[in-house]
Amino acid sequence: MLYDLNIAWSPSTPLAELERTLKFAKSLGYDVVALTHAIPLPIPTTPSSIVSPLPTLAPSPLLPTILRRATLTITDPATTNYRLPDFARAYDLLALRPANDKAFSWACLSTTEIPALISLDMTAFLGWHIHHRTAMAAVHRGSRFEICYSQALGSHVDARMRANFIGNVMGLLRATKGRGVVVSSEARSALGLRGPADVVNLMAVWGLGPEKGTEAIGTGARAVVVNEGIRRRGFRGVVDIVKPAEAPPVSEEDTAAAEKGKAEKAASGKARKKAGQGQKRKNGDENQGTISKRQAKKLRGDAIKGAADG
Amino acid sequence: MVRLKDRYLLVHIIYTDVPAGQAKDSVPDLLLYNQPTTGELKPQHLLKGIRSEVASLFGDCGSGAIDRSLQVKYLSPATSTFILRVSRDHHRLAWAALSFMDRVPVRNGRPCVFRVVRVSGTIRKVEEEAIRRAKLLVLSAKQEMSGKSSDALGALLRGKDQGRSLTTAADQDDDSEMEDVDASRD
Repeated sequence: MLYDLNIAWSPSTPLAELERTLKFAKSLGYDVVALTHAIPLPIPTTPSSIVSPLPTLAPSPLLPTILRRATLTITDPATTNYRLPDFARAYDLLALRPANDKAFSWACLSTTEIPALISLDMTAFLGWHIHHRTAMAAVHRGSRFEICYSQALGSHVDARMRANFIGNVMGLLRATKGRGVVVSSEARSALGLRGPADVVNLMAVWGLGPEKGTEAIGTGARAVVVNEGIRRRGFRGVVDIVKPAEAPPVSEEDTAAAEKGKAEKAASGKARKKAGQGQKRKNGDENQGTISKRQAKKLRGDAIKGAADG
Repeated sequence: MVRLKDRYLLVHIIYTDVPAGQAKDSVPDLLLYNQPTTGELKPQHLLKGIRSEVASLFGDCGSGAIDRSLQVKYLSPATSTFILRVSRDHHRLAWAALSFMDRVPVRNGRPCVFRVVRVSGTIRKVEEEAIRRAKLLVLSAKQEMSGKSSDALGALLRGKDQGRSLTTAADQDDDSEMEDVDASRD
C-alpha cells in the first residue's frame, strides 16, 4: 500500500480538477491519499467550532481512499496551543508547519496535542539549523517529519528555490538520519505527482537510502495513518469494540455486596487499600481487564454471600 | 577485463489532460494517460532536454558524469515510450532529471509526466517489459472501450508480479535487474 499524505486543496480548487488529480494518483499507484487544507495564518482564536471544508467524493474503484488533513502554519506558538485539539478532532490528520525557530522547537517538543506530521516550506531559506536532539525528540514523541517533493517541481520554481529545497532536505535527513521521515507530494495539480519509484529515486539522490525511501511512502506513512485512527477511535487502551460484554444480570446486589465489602474491610488492618478497591467496584468499572483475579474472586464471593443473605 | 556497465530505463510519457483545443468529453482515463506523443519528438530533442535538465540540476559535474553514456535506444512517439541508456554509477542522476522535467522537450511541448517503469542491466529485459506492457495496455483499453471492468490492467499486472521482490538484486553479472516499486502495481 502506498500513501501520499499531502494533496493540496484550497477553497478555490474546482471539483473536476480535484477529481482528475485523485484519479491520476490512483493510477500511479497511491492507494490512500490525504486531501490537505492549508489553513492560513490568522488562526481563528474565537471558540467557534471547526468544520472541515474539504469536499467529500463518492468512493469508487478509480479513486484512492481519501483522508482529510489540515496543515496549520505556525509563527507564534502562544496563540495556537489551545486550538490544536479542536483541529485534531475535525480532521483525520493534523500537521504543523512552523515558520521560525521558536515555532519549530515548540512543534517538536511542547505542544499539548502531538501533531501527526511536522512539515516545512522547504523552498524558503530556513534561517536555522535543524538539530539532531530536537528532531529525534519529536520522532520519539510520535510525530513524523514530512518532505513534500512537489515543492521543488514545476515551472514556477527557480534555481534558488530548488537549491534551498535540496539543502533543507539534506539538513533534515542529516538531523534525523532518515528515521521518522515521510514523503508526500504537495501536488496542486495532477502534473505535480510522480510515480512511487521516481519519488524513491529522488530521495535516494538527496540522501535517503532506497529502503528507507520505500518505507517513507509505504509502511512509515501507514503507521502515521493507523496511529491517528486509533487515537481518534480508541479509548483507554481499547482499540475497537467487536462485541460489547453483556451487562451483569445482578446490579443491585452487586452494589450492596460492594458496600458490604467496603464496610468489612474497613474494619481490617489494610482498611484504606481495600476501601479504595471497593470504591472502584462501586463506580461500576465494568472493564474486566483492569480487575485482578483476586479482586474478581472476591467479587464473586461477595455476590454469592449477598445472594445467600438477601 | 573491465566492462562498462549500464542501466537501461524504460520510460513512459504520461499526459494528464487532452491537448489544448480539444473538447474533453468522456475519454476513458486509461487512454487519457497513454496518449501518443507528437511526431516532432526526435531522439535528439529528448537527449537535449535531458542534458539541459541534468546541467541545471547537477551542474558541470553531473553533465560530465552522464554525457558520454547517455543514449536513446528506442523511441516510439505513438506509444509514448522510450528506452534510455545511462552508465550504471550515475543512472540516478538521469532518472532524477527525468522526474524534474515537466513538458515534452520540443517547441510548445505539452505538459506531461515522465514515469520510469523499469530499470534493468540488459536491454533485452527492458524490451520484453515494453512489449508486455504494450500488449496489456491494448487489451485493457479494448476492455474499457467495450464497457467492461476498468481494472483489467491492474488485475493482470498484479496477478503476474506476485512473486517478484521489490529490492535490487545483487549485481554480480551483467544480467542484474532492479525491480521498481511501481512495476507491479500500475
